[in-house]
Amino acid sequence: MKKKFNLFNWLFDGNPLFSMLLGMCTTLAITTTFENGFVMGLSVTVVLLFSSIIVSLISKYISDELRIPSYIIVIATFVTVLEVLLRKYSIPVYEALGVYLPLITVNCIIMGRVLSFASKNKVGASILDSLKCGIQYTFAIVLLASIREILGNNSLTIIDNLSGLLGFKLSFNIFPSSIFVPSNIFLTSAGAFITLGILLGILNSIRNRGDSK
Amino acid sequence: MKFKVDNGPHVKDSDNTSRIMNRLMIALIPIICFSVYKNVSIIYRMDISILEALKPLFMILIAIFTSVITEFLYSLFILKKNKKDLKEYMKHSYAIFPGLFLALVIPLNTPLLLVSLGAFIATLIGKMIFGGFGHNIFNPALTGALLVTTAYGSFISGTSNLFELDTIGSATPLANLANFNYVGTFEQIVGKFGSIFNYIFGTIPGTLGETNKFLILIAFIFLVATKVIKWRIPVFYISTVFVITYIVSLTNDIGIWYPLFHILSGGLLFGAVFMATDPVTSPITPMGQVLYGIGLGILTTILRFLTPYPEGVLTSILFMNMTVSLFDKIGLKIRNSFNKKLIYITIFILLVISTGFIINKNLNKDDSSVKILNVIKSEDSYVYEMSSKAWGVITANVTIKDGVVISVDIVNSSSETKWSHIVSNDYINKIINGQDNLDSLDAISGVTITSDGLKEMVKKVIEDYGDKYER
Repeated sequence: MKKKFNLFNWLFDGNPLFSMLLGMCTTLAITTTFENGFVMGLSVTVVLLFSSIIVSLISKYISDELRIPSYIIVIATFVTVLEVLLRKYSIPVYEALGVYLPLITVNCIIMGRVLSFASKNKVGASILDSLKCGIQYTFAIVLLASIREILGNNSLTIIDNLSGLLGFKLSFNIFPSSIFVPSNIFLTSAGAFITLGILLGILNSIRNRGDSK
Repeated sequence: MKFKVDNGPHVKDSDNTSRIMNRLMIALIPIICFSVYKNVSIIYRMDISILEALKPLFMILIAIFTSVITEFLYSLFILKKNKKDLKEYMKHSYAIFPGLFLALVIPLNTPLLLVSLGAFIATLIGKMIFGGFGHNIFNPALTGALLVTTAYGSFISGTSNLFELDTIGSATPLANLANFNYVGTFEQIVGKFGSIFNYIFGTIPGTLGETNKFLILIAFIFLVATKVIKWRIPVFYISTVFVITYIVSLTNDIGIWYPLFHILSGGLLFGAVFMATDPVTSPITPMGQVLYGIGLGILTTILRFLTPYPEGVLTSILFMNMTVSLFDKIGLKIRNSFNKKLIYITIFILLVISTGFIINKNLNKDDSSVKILNVIKSEDSYVYEMSSKAWGVITANVTIKDGVVISVDIVNSSSETKWSHIVSNDYINKIINGQDNLDSLDAISGVTITSDGLKEMVKKVIEDYGDKYER
């Protein structure tokens, strides 16, 4: 029996953030603005994609004892490349991501996908898997970031640090300031946990409702 | 055979939950009446309109209203109860209590809208998400109060409302204590708010529920006698706080009033009697309750002394709510063995005493590392023999003439100071040249502490000269 394609299920089933709770450190620290979340999601996707390709190609020649160190070298190489590129083309973005950019190396999403999928599958399948995983992660992190930014700062920054590259800025307030008062707590890590917890609860209840039908 | 476990609270005899809740309500009514009376009477004298004077009443009513409405809507739309079930459900879920307790613990100058938001959060996140009455892990009212006070703290302490101006909104005794860095004389700490009777009968600033200790004590006796709450948690909680603050008072030469002050000010008694003993979120084994109370006391004192937040009862109860099942497991394991009980009690007593000394050690870090050893008067200048305990100990002769430091001769410096860095940077001359504005002089990286020690030394000399010899 073939299932009907459902965008919601495609986005949330096996979502690295919402159902596996991986990559929390980066997620909680960086999701303060829409733009930061988006850039971080893209960076992770790019690194994940290239690492998966390389790892799926070389995994035959690597012995089991040396798997983790050699995969980390592969991942770290791409993270360094990304870091250098970002620094060359957009210093504000580089500074906004800060220490969390090199930390992508030890992001468990990438390590997890590479170890569990790419090292056991062919190149084509790994590309598809890493793209799906990256899109799911980007979607999740952007969702979390926009909720946090609206609640914490009453704004949505879509292009600010990237304006050096794109040539224009795009950010706006959501609610009129007379009726909505933002609270700084949502911009702290504690607020990130609260937001993520409530979001997870809502999503799971929606999914459970879909299952029971 | 399968056992079916009903919702907490679990009670053995014929008491059922509704009777327990009725008694809790009876115990709370005098406290509510007093808080309304107190605020009306004080504000009435200040010629403020009756609407503002009755704010405590509005706070309580709005909070109760919000939490009942929230619970009603949640069970109607999300739990999807039908009409018949709903009536029965609302009867047994005691929806008013999160809101009522929230209004009693939240600061009085909270805007009414925030009180409403707090009650909403308390009911929804504190209670309903976990499955309603009897299933919640955390105390609902405290969850709401903590979220509102941390997220919108600027509105609570802001000058935007009238209550900031009068005595009710002014600094509570504990905030005042924090201003004195936790040690002070009787006049500074207690005297500002009147005698010990003001503390007992509640005419000091504070939230609605917490001020009148006398009524809380009566409520405690009533609740214990009618077996609504267990006596162990409040008693061990308060005695732990007493012991720790007594250690602090002994080592700082403060009288016996100091531990009493800690017990009688702030929300300690109210929290211990009404919040920590909440039957749903507290241990049920006797030994578990004892250890839980001691843990609460340790946490509260640590939060009071070592963090910027002078209260600490609210946060520590919420934190300890997480550990309830742990304490129940310990209590179950050691219930039959006297030796094991003895071991646990000893460990916790040692913890209490060491907490007292740790707090005391951290309180005494004053800036007296710079000392004047001797002052020698020569013809028209004074030579100060100074010692500064920075990274290592430096001793130096500082010569001062007409209020201006003219030379700093280092007599001795221990090897840890990395003296060569100071010399190679010519730092002493920099200090002498920049002595009018020492605070803006940057420390040398690598020897920050030593250079700061030198700076402090010169500052102290200038200050002391100005105090004593300058005409």
